[in-house]
Amino acid sequence: MSQVSLIRPAQETRIVTSDISLLALGILVVVLGFTLPWLGLSRNLLSLLTSATTTAILATGVGFLVRQSGLSSFGHAGFYGGAAYLVVLMSVYTGLPGEFIVLAAPVIAAFVSLLLAFVLLRTSGVAFSMLSLAVAQALFELMMRWREIANGEDGLRLRLPRELFGLKLSFFQKADTMFLVSWTCLVLIVIGLVLLTRSRFGTLALAIKNNEERARFIGYRTLMPRAIVLALSGLIAAIGGTLFALYNGYVTPGLLHWSLSGEALVIAIIGGTRSVWGPALGAFIFVILRDVAGNYTTHWQMIVGLALIVVVLLLPKGVSGAVSTFVKRFGRARNA
Amino acid sequence: MLIQILNGLVYGGLIYIVSVGLVLIFGLRRVVNFAHGGFYMLGAYAGYTAAIVLGFWGGLLASVVILAVIGIALDYVVFRPLQNADHMVTVLVTFGILLVFEDAVHMIWGADSISVAAPYPFDGTIQIGEIAFPVYRLLVIAVALAVAAGLTLWLRYSRAGLYVRASSVDALTTGMQGVDTERLSLAVVGLGAALAGLSGVIASPLLALSPSMGSSILIESFIVVVTGGLGSFAGAFVAAIIIGQVHNLGIVYVPNVASMLPLLLMVAVLIWKPTGFARSYI
Repeated sequence: MSQVSLIRPAQETRIVTSDISLLALGILVVVLGFTLPWLGLSRNLLSLLTSATTTAILATGVGFLVRQSGLSSFGHAGFYGGAAYLVVLMSVYTGLPGEFIVLAAPVIAAFVSLLLAFVLLRTSGVAFSMLSLAVAQALFELMMRWREIANGEDGLRLRLPRELFGLKLSFFQKADTMFLVSWTCLVLIVIGLVLLTRSRFGTLALAIKNNEERARFIGYRTLMPRAIVLALSGLIAAIGGTLFALYNGYVTPGLLHWSLSGEALVIAIIGGTRSVWGPALGAFIFVILRDVAGNYTTHWQMIVGLALIVVVLLLPKGVSGAVSTFVKRFGRARNA
Repeated sequence: MLIQILNGLVYGGLIYIVSVGLVLIFGLRRVVNFAHGGFYMLGAYAGYTAAIVLGFWGGLLASVVILAVIGIALDYVVFRPLQNADHMVTVLVTFGILLVFEDAVHMIWGADSISVAAPYPFDGTIQIGEIAFPVYRLLVIAVALAVAAGLTLWLRYSRAGLYVRASSVDALTTGMQGVDTERLSLAVVGLGAALAGLSGVIASPLLALSPSMGSSILIESFIVVVTGGLGSFAGAFVAAIIIGQVHNLGIVYVPNVASMLPLLLMVAVLIWKPTGFARSYI
């Protein structure tokens, strides 16, 4: 993008000593997450945190695409809601085993996003955003109009057998247990992405993001890595959607609407896309902020809009950027 | 059939006025302005309220002026300070502004939709063949054509228009030639917003006012702008007319998939030509 980023490495890819305090903080948060159901939180708060986790997974997918490809998708609700719809539609219309349905939905969505990538990646920048928006919105219209299959605006209810992976279905629909499942998924995704971004492939993706022509010049094929990044990001969003469908037990076309895609992008930006975990942090802030604001006023949309404007203007690296700067400074002060 | 084509032209004309504002702003600031849907909506509501005192035409004028001021403020407060930031950042700020506007309209005017009567002397109908066609719809087509003609003449033959075209191609070089591109953007973003206000008021007798009217037309205008080729005025005109026809004929003949057709058209055009109809600017 800017000239400077071409000479300097765009992101630090090695672990430096000041990262260690950040890592310690991360481990603390993960462990805290796993003890959460036993901390005696209210049912509402736990349920809120469970939906925040699925949103966090969606935002992580969107943020990963921004981070690795520099592409801002306005259509990730298509993967999220698409996978959720796949789970519910398969559970209603096919007699397939529940385990297969739950595992197949994200895989199908990822495969579709890989195929779509070859179309979507013909464009870049704003045109990519609009094209992704159009594709997802077309899926929204399809589910909205197709009353016979998807029941239109009213949505569909999940119909799975009582047991899934040897556990009762209610295990996936109660906040205290489902939170653990979603939290595990989120943690595994974030760890996986951190490792990926530090790998050779991650570095190649960054190189292509910074200057595709030069990456081609030094002998790399650039289309496939870009397509894989998009497919991975679609897969992550789809995992979030699958968990959502399992937990809530029903889907509506709202899951596919572009306002959800926009929201996910907003969350990713508020959280900060320079780090893999930023969008997830953004999701928890966003969902809790919206809930708190919703208790006092019906105008949470305005609060979200203002928060977005303020964060973008004052914290260009997002909340996660501010956190890591703070933690690193704190760590350095202690070492000195 | 003629009636359907006319209706398509009405809708196409309406989205043309919205889209051309987007094109103007994109040309100078390289930002796809999500707040444009908010401008359109705010224009409709401001016109509606001003019309209570000033009548429809006074309301129209008031709305255009108010929106021009808001547009100038947007350029001054948001676009100018952020011009060296990543364009996506600015786009997200305008998205935030859209959210704020939608909520503000919700707060001030409520969520119920409001209908507006067509103004005198255009509230009658005219006989076309055997069907009575509202005169007001013809007026919308006329306004869209007037906007298109006015803009074309301004861009082609005036000095300011030349500067606008030049900055759309390369703002930096235009600045080096001694054109004050900052002042120019102020005016152009103001003009774009004023056009959104105009289209909002013009649309209000056709479509009812509601706080969600902005986002729905915004998507259609994005489709127009992207299919036409980002930053292209002629492309936006052609795309708006085609999308208007597709939209309208779709509703009549294939109502189930009508709302998907413009989206599919855009996907098809972008696969065929990733830069849209028009290759170059202007």
